[in-house]
Amino acid sequence: MNWETALPLLIVLSSLIPGLIIFFLAEKQVVARITLNMAAALIKLALVGVMLWGVFHGHHYEIRLPFLPGLDLVLRADPLSMLFVTLSASLWLATTVYAIGYLEDSPNRSRFFGFFSLCVTATVGLALAGNLLTFVLFYELLTLTTYPLVVHRGTEVARLAGRKYLIYTVGGGALLLLATVWLYTLAGTLEFTARGFLSGLDAVHYPALIIIFVLLIAGLGVKAALIPFHGWLPQAMVAPAPVSALLHAVAVVKAGAFGIVRVVYDVFGIEFAASLGVTLPLAILASATIIYGSLRALFQDDLKRRLAFSTVSQVSYIVLGVAVAGPIATIGGLVHLVHQGVQKITLFFCAGILAETLGIHKISEMNGVGRRMPWTMAAFTIGAFGMIGAPPLAGFISKWYLGLGALDAGQNWVIFILAASSLLNAAYFLPILYRAWFKAPPASWPDERSFGKRETAWALLAPAVITAALTLGLGLLASMPYSPLEWVRFITEQEYAP
Amino acid sequence: MSNIVNIFLLLLAPGLPLLLAIPALRRRVPWPAHLALLPTIVLLFLPGSFSVELPWILWGNAGMGIDTGARWWLAISVVIWAASASCLQTPDRRGAGNRLTTLFLLTLVGQIGGILATDMVSFFTFMTLMGYAFIGLLIDGGDEKTRRAGRIYLVLLILADIALFEALLIAARSTDDLGYEAVALAIPPSPSSALYLSMVIAGFALKAGFWPLHVWLPLAYGSARPAVALLLWVVPVGTGLFGAVRWLPLGELSAPIAGTLLQALGVAGILYALLFKVMRAQWKQLPAHTAIIAVGMFAMGLGTGLLDPAVWNQYGHLVPVFVAAVGLALAIMIAAFVWLEKREVFPSESDREALWLERWAKDIIRWGRRAGGDTLPELCALWLARWDSFWQAFTWQELFDAGEYLLQRWELAITLFLLLGMVSVALLWLDATSVL
Repeated sequence: MNWETALPLLIVLSSLIPGLIIFFLAEKQVVARITLNMAAALIKLALVGVMLWGVFHGHHYEIRLPFLPGLDLVLRADPLSMLFVTLSASLWLATTVYAIGYLEDSPNRSRFFGFFSLCVTATVGLALAGNLLTFVLFYELLTLTTYPLVVHRGTEVARLAGRKYLIYTVGGGALLLLATVWLYTLAGTLEFTARGFLSGLDAVHYPALIIIFVLLIAGLGVKAALIPFHGWLPQAMVAPAPVSALLHAVAVVKAGAFGIVRVVYDVFGIEFAASLGVTLPLAILASATIIYGSLRALFQDDLKRRLAFSTVSQVSYIVLGVAVAGPIATIGGLVHLVHQGVQKITLFFCAGILAETLGIHKISEMNGVGRRMPWTMAAFTIGAFGMIGAPPLAGFISKWYLGLGALDAGQNWVIFILAASSLLNAAYFLPILYRAWFKAPPASWPDERSFGKRETAWALLAPAVITAALTLGLGLLASMPYSPLEWVRFITEQEYAP
Repeated sequence: MSNIVNIFLLLLAPGLPLLLAIPALRRRVPWPAHLALLPTIVLLFLPGSFSVELPWILWGNAGMGIDTGARWWLAISVVIWAASASCLQTPDRRGAGNRLTTLFLLTLVGQIGGILATDMVSFFTFMTLMGYAFIGLLIDGGDEKTRRAGRIYLVLLILADIALFEALLIAARSTDDLGYEAVALAIPPSPSSALYLSMVIAGFALKAGFWPLHVWLPLAYGSARPAVALLLWVVPVGTGLFGAVRWLPLGELSAPIAGTLLQALGVAGILYALLFKVMRAQWKQLPAHTAIIAVGMFAMGLGTGLLDPAVWNQYGHLVPVFVAAVGLALAIMIAAFVWLEKREVFPSESDREALWLERWAKDIIRWGRRAGGDTLPELCALWLARWDSFWQAFTWQELFDAGEYLLQRWELAITLFLLLGMVSVALLWLDATSVL
């Protein structure tokens, strides 16, 4: 085994092994747990950095482990997988710091951080999967490792939410597995290939392929929270804030969206999918989800629920960008994978800070909170404006390429979806900012904790401020070398190369 | 060497106020609002035109620069900003005063950056920052009238941003270079030119408060603090007008329909303000109506420029002078009113009698209410609940009330959105086959 075969495996193991060790640590071994968590996150990030450099310079990283006759478990680095792996590894580091601060003094931390690490292992494995079989295995592993995080608090509400989450995601996984097996019987391979591996099949199989596409999208759409499979996501808000951040920005929702990207580009191939006539319905479904999610968000008073419905809406931009065939829309969709993650994690970090520091859970309780917590609310403001798509923040870059891509592909109706979505985003985010900055604060907060002269614990505030700065930087410096936008251009050039 | 200084100053003009907008960085800085203007003032006195490209920013073709036109806008801006900064100083440098200074500086960043931008995307970026920061500046510590003005302006701003974003997309389809000059050359031969013009005119009409979208201006002038009232002309209105001049392919394209429409809007705005408003306005609202008249004149000028490019090429350079003159006149007017008000020269303000046209409109609304409009929800609720219990009727009633409240609260927004939507759909439909 050389370096180029070992690296993908090392990246997966860098969170798996610490995660397993953490399970056996006693609650009181705080230093050991923090050291393991931080070391694992930093090592993973360093390994990902090396691999990113290698992939950019044409190195080939792949490892094959025999699994079934004719089917290997494959971990492979390609530009698309690196986009997701880098996002996961970077945001995992931020979330780990945040979770350490958030769960200080709370029970069952070893269990929490153990599953937390396994969850990231599954996400990274899924991102590096070189075929659909490996993808499905890690996809299921992700379901099983996130369930204990959702029910972590152990309350009745949490258990109900967890049950709903499990029903939805296991159901989705079953559909995915069914479609994968069916696909294998037709194509004889499941290897992800640039421009897909199905275009050579006989036309007699096309109706079956359309059904398989629907099954795959339904299976992946559960995690991507496409309507009507989105029901679990707002319920899962009972989970602690770091888990919400992980679900919405790093792992679960993104895994679904990333899976749809893989299916459209590397299983079917965008041109073949368009010729089957499945991309337009997918674009319509994504558009409906964008509008539905925004409308539902508008009427939520619970801050995390509003953010959850916002995720339902925003993640579908990725699907929309993929479904509107063409290189420019693809850039918009793929870059939103990163941009939405950074923006949404900022918002969830801030929601968690408000809950932990002042006991604020509802938007109606946020009057004047900007005066009490200016740094937190400044970070929230940047995240919210990013979501609206205001320039020069990251969300603007995504919307720009989506709009331009839609015009380029002759699908002008998408512009109206984007416009309506921006309007709705403004309608559900700006009132929060108005309350926070311009209304008078109450005499006392629901459940205030004192942190001395600081507005909150640094371990909570620092990740939020850093991700807010990233939201600004990813938009403002979008054309900088190695920026997500440049990387996505690199992916798209390969995908659409003549 | 001088080139490096020029570039440094170009970046510092919006950069310094941006840094000072962070409260922690200006804590020990005296007069931060004045200090923030220094690089811009120095920039004004540097001879010639120069610019800088910013390759990593946004799409890589962003830039900033100064030319003769921008210098005029910058000059009047600096004067007004300095006057406003002097009014802004409060003994309380913490709390609300502190936040006000942040909003003031952010608005300054947006306005100065917008004038110095050499491409549409940079301008759009700075203008967005300016717009939202200005709303904060307007409503901070304001009364219900000011908040209402802020709400209306916010809705207009969002709609304007959407229209301008679409204009940007259309421009980007025509040319890779979104610099003003490149766009002005690329749009006229483009089949999307009509749609582009529509979006740009709609966007800047919303931003600058063209008649009949001026509703927020009298409210804002009437209730805003003097420091903010001074800024109303140069910030939302003036920068909107500046944007229209930069974004429209004036002197390159003859567009009779758009030109005539703008002229008609201009005339209507002037007549409306002169005949219906000026004579009966409160003193503090007079600058608003003067601004509406000036915007009307400006719209007529733009319309003429679109009708006949040669006229624009001959007289277009006078536009910044006109804006500067109006800005100065308004600033003097506001200062005089503040001075007179402090000396209690004015009689107490009260609403004067409504005009016959308004009385008619109000009568019609009142008759409609008497005819049953007000009781309609209750009747509907009773009808819907006729087969079920009292509680269902109660629920229906609540639902109607909520719906009615929502409609009342957002009636302007909904109307504007529908109007914009209808216009956009109609234009897209007209252009769909040949344009995009």
